[in-house]
Amino acid sequence: MNIEKVLENATPLLFEGLKITVLISLISIAIGILIGLFMCLFGMSRSKILKGISAVYIWVIRGTPMLVQALVVYFGIPQMINLFAPGFTLSNITASIITLSLNAGAYLAEIFRSGISAVPPGQVEAARSLGLPYSKTFVKIVLPQAVKIAIPSMVNQFIITVKDTSILSVIGLPELANKAKVYAGSSYLYFQTYTLLAIFYLVIISILMIISKYVEKKFNYERKS
Amino acid sequence: MKEKVKVCNLHKSFGKLDVLKGIDVEISEGEVICVIGPSGGGKSTFLRCLNRLEDVTAGEIIVDDILITDKNVDINKVRERIGMVFQSFNLFAHLTVGKNIMLAPVELKKMSKEQAEVRAKELLERVGLSDKIDCYPHQLSGGQQQRVAIARALAMDPDIMLFDEPTSALDPEMVGEVLVVMKELAKAGMTMIVVTHEMGFARDVADRVLFIADGVICEQGKPDELFGNPQQDRTKDFLAAVL
Repeated sequence: MNIEKVLENATPLLFEGLKITVLISLISIAIGILIGLFMCLFGMSRSKILKGISAVYIWVIRGTPMLVQALVVYFGIPQMINLFAPGFTLSNITASIITLSLNAGAYLAEIFRSGISAVPPGQVEAARSLGLPYSKTFVKIVLPQAVKIAIPSMVNQFIITVKDTSILSVIGLPELANKAKVYAGSSYLYFQTYTLLAIFYLVIISILMIISKYVEKKFNYERKS
Repeated sequence: MKEKVKVCNLHKSFGKLDVLKGIDVEISEGEVICVIGPSGGGKSTFLRCLNRLEDVTAGEIIVDDILITDKNVDINKVRERIGMVFQSFNLFAHLTVGKNIMLAPVELKKMSKEQAEVRAKELLERVGLSDKIDCYPHQLSGGQQQRVAIARALAMDPDIMLFDEPTSALDPEMVGEVLVVMKELAKAGMTMIVVTHEMGFARDVADRVLFIADGVICEQGKPDELFGNPQQDRTKDFLAAVL
């Protein structure tokens, strides 16, 4: 079955890919949270312009596959910029981070918005009736409760982001799935290599789920005594 | 007695729906006012206008010589002195009982954390819940939650308290414990405006009862007069239905 051969030869390659996958995921999730937070606040603001920016952004990202977004960011946009600034290039790492964080940001914006709107209005009224200004009410009362509501959906989005890095092999990002594809192609050991690849993903996602259970417990004030 | 609250020609509409159609009333310091009337008649809206949880459509509200309906007034400062208790308690779900009470005084720099904690303990003792300081709201019964809500409002040392149907969401056996706390507050001289369906409480504790229906004060008077000898047909019908 050549299992030993695959374990010996493919594992180091996959670990190289794993580094890229984890690194790109972490950076993109961090940037995605920031984008999501701003787009969520834009969407809830009174300004029609900010509302419009948030709505169009979410509409475009949700309305197109990430594969297409990656192609546009990596091949399309640099070609256009080159017309005005010859010699411009974008590394596939940078393009990957841009694509993934824009993608995660749109979904996170919606997750944050639904978390905030799920906090009962009575909580805000109670805080305001005590004399707390809106900003303090938001930070001290709304946000902690919204985060608790949003944690399961946020973790779900993080899992999707980690798995979506595999799509970026289309622009040549040397991530986990890309490395496996290269090894399987040269060794013809498809079953063994791709099974090992699947196990790699399972392990990362499982670690993420364990962390999330811990965080969920920490935020669950309804089980504390 | 000193005039505490003065309401002139108060109107409030939600879109095309006119809920309040000209309310005029003056309330003196230390007076306990009970507001009764049919559902949808505007009782709660009237109360919520008094601390501007609802923006008024027209008319004036003056609290302690401050025109609070003026857009330029710092409403947060005004609200610090007007406590409010809600039908659904609205305790902060993510904070313990103690922190619910301490939050506003500490955040608004009225007290240090240590002072606020001492005050929270005093207030909890006053409402009979000293042992619950570290509990979360969901661990308390409705009556206990409402008593904590009263303590939370009192922590800001308000001189007016608004109650919006404080016992309507409670199981019948828990109504008494909340009314006891409110009675003590009334005895201590607090200016109180209470929207309620508890006619017994209104009769015992109120200095004056307002009957609000269809967006106006239909009739008002001392409890004995209003309950014993109502003048308006609308009031007679309502009292016949609820008593």
